[in-house]
Amino acid sequence: MSNSASQKISFTFNGVAHEGVRGQSIAAALMESGVRELRQTRFGNEPRLIFCGIGVCFDCVVVVNEVANQRACLVEIAPGDQIRSSK
Amino acid sequence: MKNPDAIVIGAGIVGACAALSLTNAGLKVLIIDRGTVASGTTGAGEGNILVSDKDPGPELTLALKSRDLWFEMQEDVGDSFELEAKGGVVVARTDDSQLMALAQSQSKHGVITEKLDSVRLHELEPYLHPELSSGVLYPQDAQCQPMLAAARIIQSVIARGGELVMRSKVLGFNLAHGAMKGVVTSTGEYSSPIVINAAGTWAGEIAALADSYLPVAPRRGFILVTEPAPQYIFHKVYDSDYVVNVASSDADLQTSTVVEGTRSGTILIGASRERIGFDSTMNYEIVRKLAAQATSLFPILRDVQLLRVYRGFRPYAPDHLPLIGEDSTVKGFWHSAGHEGAGIGLAPGSAALITDAILGRDSFMDPHAFSPKRFAEVLK
Amino acid sequence: MIAIVGAGPAGLAAAMTAAQGGEEIVVIDSAPRPGGQYWRHLNQVEGYKSGRSEKYFEALRERKNVIHISGAQIWSAVPGENSITLNYLADGIESSITVQKIILATGAHDRAIPFTGWERPGVMTPGAAQALLKGHNVMAGQQILITGTGPFLLPVAVGLAAAGADVVGIVEAHSPLRWLMSPVALALNPQKALELLYYIRKIAKYKLKIRFNQAVVAFDGKSATIAKVSKDLTTKKIVSKVHCDVVAAGWGFSPDVTLGGILGCKQIVDLDGTVIFAVDNHQRSSQPNIWIAGEATGIGGADLALIEGRIAGLSALGLGISLRLRFQRYRLQKFARALQVSYPVGNGWQGWLRSESKVCRCEEVSLGEICSSVTELSANDARTSKLFTRAGMGMCQGRICSRNVSEIIGVQTQCQVTDQERIAYSNRPIAAPISLGALTDGIK
Repeated sequence: MSNSASQKISFTFNGVAHEGVRGQSIAAALMESGVRELRQTRFGNEPRLIFCGIGVCFDCVVVVNEVANQRACLVEIAPGDQIRSSK
Repeated sequence: MKNPDAIVIGAGIVGACAALSLTNAGLKVLIIDRGTVASGTTGAGEGNILVSDKDPGPELTLALKSRDLWFEMQEDVGDSFELEAKGGVVVARTDDSQLMALAQSQSKHGVITEKLDSVRLHELEPYLHPELSSGVLYPQDAQCQPMLAAARIIQSVIARGGELVMRSKVLGFNLAHGAMKGVVTSTGEYSSPIVINAAGTWAGEIAALADSYLPVAPRRGFILVTEPAPQYIFHKVYDSDYVVNVASSDADLQTSTVVEGTRSGTILIGASRERIGFDSTMNYEIVRKLAAQATSLFPILRDVQLLRVYRGFRPYAPDHLPLIGEDSTVKGFWHSAGHEGAGIGLAPGSAALITDAILGRDSFMDPHAFSPKRFAEVLK
Repeated sequence: MIAIVGAGPAGLAAAMTAAQGGEEIVVIDSAPRPGGQYWRHLNQVEGYKSGRSEKYFEALRERKNVIHISGAQIWSAVPGENSITLNYLADGIESSITVQKIILATGAHDRAIPFTGWERPGVMTPGAAQALLKGHNVMAGQQILITGTGPFLLPVAVGLAAAGADVVGIVEAHSPLRWLMSPVALALNPQKALELLYYIRKIAKYKLKIRFNQAVVAFDGKSATIAKVSKDLTTKKIVSKVHCDVVAAGWGFSPDVTLGGILGCKQIVDLDGTVIFAVDNHQRSSQPNIWIAGEATGIGGADLALIEGRIAGLSALGLGISLRLRFQRYRLQKFARALQVSYPVGNGWQGWLRSESKVCRCEEVSLGEICSSVTELSANDARTSKLFTRAGMGMCQGRICSRNVSEIIGVQTQCQVTDQERIAYSNRPIAAPISLGALTDGIK
């Protein structure tokens, strides 16, 4: 972890700039910077974060570089990613 | 129920509509099913109520009437089963002459058609492949949620004095001098002089229990269901090959494209047809083929993910016409089965025909073409 | 070539064992790094025997005859004459691999039970909290409450506390003494008592507060409502509210049986209602050339998974299984069974829910909607109810809610859920979502 500082990755979530560490999932990176809502549900417009955390429940899906329904708990952040909440 | 006026075997859409129509005619109806409501083919379909895929003839007459009856039934039942006249758009992939000829002859028989040039086609379906340039709009084509429809209709039957017994398997019939007396089931015996076989794909097995013959065979179909997606598709969209395949008697696999959105946001993609018995083995090559056909119509679907695949068995009769009418040998034994992939659409019309025949009333059309006796005559 | 699906303890043990026989081995795993849910990688988290994984990772890295395909989701499998083809997706691109033998070690995920507010941000499985910490070095929240049942709650709580989390409590639905209910299982597994002692000491060290015979029955986003519950989880009375921003709730595990189901491997229903695979004492499934090891043959934990993986690896090489290995598996299975019996999940949780409480997270279907599909639409089984309500039809394809929906329908219709139904709802022909574009491009 000693060189983690040099492995900082910048990305955006709903237009806001964020940073994470290489190897972190989108969900982990966002939660570390205090994000508590990854998306809103289709019918009830309710906020959702992660639930199973291991790719089973699909509750954390986000749009990554315009590809919909990507599991934020599995997909690792990459430099310059543009991530947004699906609706 | 002690002595029902009529017993309907099958709680799918065809049985549900028959039960409602008989109930509305004043009969006390018992519905029995070996499973639960809509647990057979009704529960494995898209809910098509189509006039567009029928050639002029008795089936088209039935389909047109049936389509109107769907909307009347919605008024009658007074509850929502997502019935929607979303309209069908049939697209010609290459040569459109066959499609245009069909549309022309259909329009002479009461089908509303609108020929679509490239501009109008893409106005109706903006995500369609840009090179597709010709099609026909069928505004009468409609859709419902078939499981919900069967359930709501059966609820109305029950509210009007009927009864539903689930997990009741027909084991045999009580007959006397060639006339129906009642049904022997795994949940007991039920007496009635009138029994309607609405067992869909399994109607042949039911007929055989009364020593009768009904040539209904399964024609397997796969439907792909995608993840929820934005609204990319606004009608029921299919390619003109679909009409050819529906009418084909070939046992081999045929696939043609039918694509549509649903209220829940998922996209349904069909349709494959093959006659391989009740084999529910997954075939991923068919899945790929259906996906490829859908993406060739709508390139935007390439990024949409497949979530699941339905498998269903359409009740198929050798001449592709349903079997509606009295049994060739047993009096009081009636059939309404073999609707193949059109059972949802044709169910209320078939129910009207069978009710009229049972009550000896005149009907909206001559039901002769659908008579189950047509195969008995062939056999002799 | 032998394909091993899953790079958790069972898969890695199978890989290392089979690799020693010189066979070509390919390990296919959905995660970017090996270890499965148990051995996550970024940093070492404090826990009992947490350093064991290195030799397996090394085998995966160093052995010339072992290929590791990571980040690969198998979406379908097709048996051939003397081979099996696995179709998988990596970075949205589909590839296939055809092998002669397969060892399935697909693992399990936490079983979730709904409660009012369980869909709110902050409610997650203990596995999720652990994955965030072990895999990504991220704390799930400021004040973490751990609830559910079973011994797995302890390592999660201790791991989080050791990493500096404010673990505001452990709420265990059963009694602490249930462990001791099976003296034979304990006598066969003295090391398990040591493990328990280890965690008792850690709990004391981090001053963690444990409540027994209680459960979190609601969460409003700021605090969790805790109730005293009976053995079948029926609420007796509300006892307190605890301020927290994370509720990590786990109720045992659900094995992933999808792939083996597609390949036609025989499934059975375990003591606690979980669908698992039937295997013989060589870990052979009912299908030729398919072995299954680890949680998918019965929830048993990492120790048992390691033994089963070794046995599967040996058997796939055509070698015999020593009596010692068989005994080790036997005693660990004995222990696993004892735990299953000790930490049952009864249907009392249904009483925690209000009519508007969500049961299916994906399609946002409430308990009330599921119940009215029975009373108003004559749904008589879970399949019909799901078709009416769309419960279980969403993105996760019922992986989270299917079992719970079945249990609700069972209670509503007063019919026991049959084994046949349990097996039916565990199976899906599409093992992972795949884009229509990838399907199109995969046409031969």
